[in-house]
Amino acid sequence: MARAFSAGRRGITGHLESAERDLLRKLFADIITMLEPDSPSHEDPLAALIGLDMDVSVPADPALLRLLPDAVKDDADASLEFRQLTERSLREGKIGALRAASLGLESDKLVLDDEAARHWAMALNDVRLVLAERLDIRSEEDAEKVHDVQDWDQAEDVDSYLSLVYNFVTWLQESLVQAMLSALARKD
Amino acid sequence: MSVSTAPETDREVTTRELISPDIPWELIVWNDPVNLMSYVSYVFQSYFGYSEAKAAKLMLQVHTEGKSAVAHGAKEKMEAHAAALHGYGLWATIQKGGPRG
Repeated sequence: MARAFSAGRRGITGHLESAERDLLRKLFADIITMLEPDSPSHEDPLAALIGLDMDVSVPADPALLRLLPDAVKDDADASLEFRQLTERSLREGKIGALRAASLGLESDKLVLDDEAARHWAMALNDVRLVLAERLDIRSEEDAEKVHDVQDWDQAEDVDSYLSLVYNFVTWLQESLVQAMLSALARKD
Repeated sequence: MSVSTAPETDREVTTRELISPDIPWELIVWNDPVNLMSYVSYVFQSYFGYSEAKAAKLMLQVHTEGKSAVAHGAKEKMEAHAAALHGYGLWATIQKGGPRG
């Protein structure tokens, strides 16, 4: 079983079992695949240089929409314009964090500096957002129900398995963020 | 942006656009059942540089009231903040600011 993260002199350290690392590697890879743009071809080099993408549209997959949300409420035109300006770099930033976290899985012991910890927290958060969408978590009550699935013997269907995975990733992120908050407090 | 030959009727619109950067915009963070309270606090502290107390206050406002205006300023700045918060996985939107004291 993974041990909780803790903040120390050398940064934030944690420990993951081999099966846990395999699971996380798979989850990170899945989200990277979701985030990779469909059609990077036929692009205007200048537009690519400044990160502009006129071909973007609102994601049809609700989980992807949760990762790349609208930035202006009740204004589809303004939201689309925002996407054209920012979505490409948002996707790249998220993929970068997921790849960085995935690389950190090479050894069973994790030693994270500030930036690595930030990448890890972002990557785990994106995994949770996608799993939550698949599990239909829309309210605090839904979240509670998923939280109650704690025993791996209960993994009898896709939903209970996803719930257990979600709870593990939640526990891991909470532990990491607590260590990051202690590290922040120590700096003040 | 209009040019000098623009018809008379466009003048008012153009003037308003020119002064629009001075209109304060707001960055709103919305509650959701997924993001951890600790994580939202961490983002408010580390990204905005807010104190632990201010970050906690805003985080609790998001949690209990469903949303919170966490930053105010020029539109471009709020857009940059929204993009950054989306990077963190928070659900942020921008809007023209209402009255604020």
